[in-house]
Amino acid sequence: MLPTQIEFQGLAFAGDAAPAVPHATPRRSAPAGIALQLDGLSKLFGEREVLADIDLRVEPGEFVAIVGRSGCGKSTLLRLVAGLEQASRGGLKLDGEPLAQHRRDLRFMFQDARLLPWKRVIDNIALGLETPDAHGRALQALAQVGLADRANDWPAVLSGGQRQRVALARALVHAPRLLLLDEPLGALDALTRIEMQSLIESLWKRHGFTALLVTHDVSEAVALADRVLLIEDHRVALDERIALPRPRSRGNAAFAALEERVLQRVLQAPGGDAPETLPPIADWQFAV
Amino acid sequence: MSRPSRSPFESLGRRIAPWLLPIAVLLAWELSSRFGWLSTRVLPEPLAVVKAFWNLALSGEMGQHVATSTWRALSGFAIGGGLGLALGLLTGSLRSAETLLDSTLQMVRNIPTLALIPLVILWFGIEESAKLFLVSLGVFFPVYINTFHGIRSVDKGLIEMARSYGLSGWALYRHVILPGALPSILVGVRFSLGFMWVILIVAETISAQAGIGYMTMNAREFLQTDVVLVGILLYALLGKLADVLAKGLERWWLRWHPSYQPAA
Repeated sequence: MLPTQIEFQGLAFAGDAAPAVPHATPRRSAPAGIALQLDGLSKLFGEREVLADIDLRVEPGEFVAIVGRSGCGKSTLLRLVAGLEQASRGGLKLDGEPLAQHRRDLRFMFQDARLLPWKRVIDNIALGLETPDAHGRALQALAQVGLADRANDWPAVLSGGQRQRVALARALVHAPRLLLLDEPLGALDALTRIEMQSLIESLWKRHGFTALLVTHDVSEAVALADRVLLIEDHRVALDERIALPRPRSRGNAAFAALEERVLQRVLQAPGGDAPETLPPIADWQFAV
Repeated sequence: MSRPSRSPFESLGRRIAPWLLPIAVLLAWELSSRFGWLSTRVLPEPLAVVKAFWNLALSGEMGQHVATSTWRALSGFAIGGGLGLALGLLTGSLRSAETLLDSTLQMVRNIPTLALIPLVILWFGIEESAKLFLVSLGVFFPVYINTFHGIRSVDKGLIEMARSYGLSGWALYRHVILPGALPSILVGVRFSLGFMWVILIVAETISAQAGIGYMTMNAREFLQTDVVLVGILLYALLGKLADVLAKGLERWWLRWHPSYQPAA
């Protein structure tokens, strides 16, 4: 059981609508984002090619969204970066070094929360933390996602959105330099999803990690990302920079135009000779 | 589930209703013994059973027999269940152990434990070790099979998650695999607890110098049907007790499980 002091801390944040940060966020010696570099990365499942010669550079601290039709290999790309799958060919470097040296720097958020049902919320977050102040740090991370008052609940009693918040806290407690998000909001209702998006954005801004988000929701991609990648025919078919200022509003004309353009590009029949990048449109810059 | 409020009389009636039939049976039994319709050689009257229970309890004879039987049951359970758990964990976790051991164990499983009694008597005679062997063997398979199945059915997604969060080896086992297999293991434990008493009863009835089975077989020789019934009652009580304990264990260990949580 938890010591009383933590119990008290948990109660102290109860009811805070905005995620409260109890102490200054502890920054470790190598904070912020990590640079990601993929060179000719390919993945075959048996005879079937899923990804072919993917070349990609992601700057430290950049937020990149990956979209594409289902089955296009976008999740596989994420799993390759996470080391959950082995690449068939090609290289993968984090800060110029092989993946094996940076396993602790990356954390993966799954489509389903994958909380351990037999551990209370706080112990789920502390999973894999070996520092003596693991409980304190877990509680801090929980406060950052606005759920400090649920520390001692079982995952079974949480709603889908709350479970994903806990999963987010579990990823953040390790102070990752690269956060990989595999459609983490796919199963949530529209309102919860928008709430989670702004939560993810604010935590990304505060911590400065590099983020790779796989999503099938183009609007989500445009709302969150610095760059939107489209994977089509096993390759990166589109690499679009989203230069909209943050926080982004969906009602904005430029937002809507950009979303529409990316969506149209996604919906194009695969195999067509689409241009690598789209011709710039003139009007959105005036709209913001 | 919330029920609409009822009058106190109605809810009392609801509580009593399930007991009406057993009480009626006991009454009919008592009356038919008193009027001599039922020979005491067939069934003694319930009051005589209660008296015999009381006398045996007071003389300390019963305590000694119950202690002997319980000790046999528990040590057999510890040996058989422990081995079942260990081998189940081994074959569940390691493919090579499965290929090496599992089909052999499945073959042995199909031999009814009680069919081995003649052989066991030849091997161990009629001493303690024979009873221990039979109980251990009977308890082994439910625990083994459910442990194996439990380990195999742990959510692969959770294991992948835990690995990607840096867990491996013993930590992975302790935090993910064992708790994930626990519901299934406990099903095996409950099943084998029931089986444990059945086998012990048979083993003690064959031959023993102490224990509940010895007490009843001895009483049979002297036509003490009341004592025989006390023995049967004791087995029933002990079996129920074991089941209640196992249920309590489940409720505590699986309190995270939605089906063990109090309705909100």
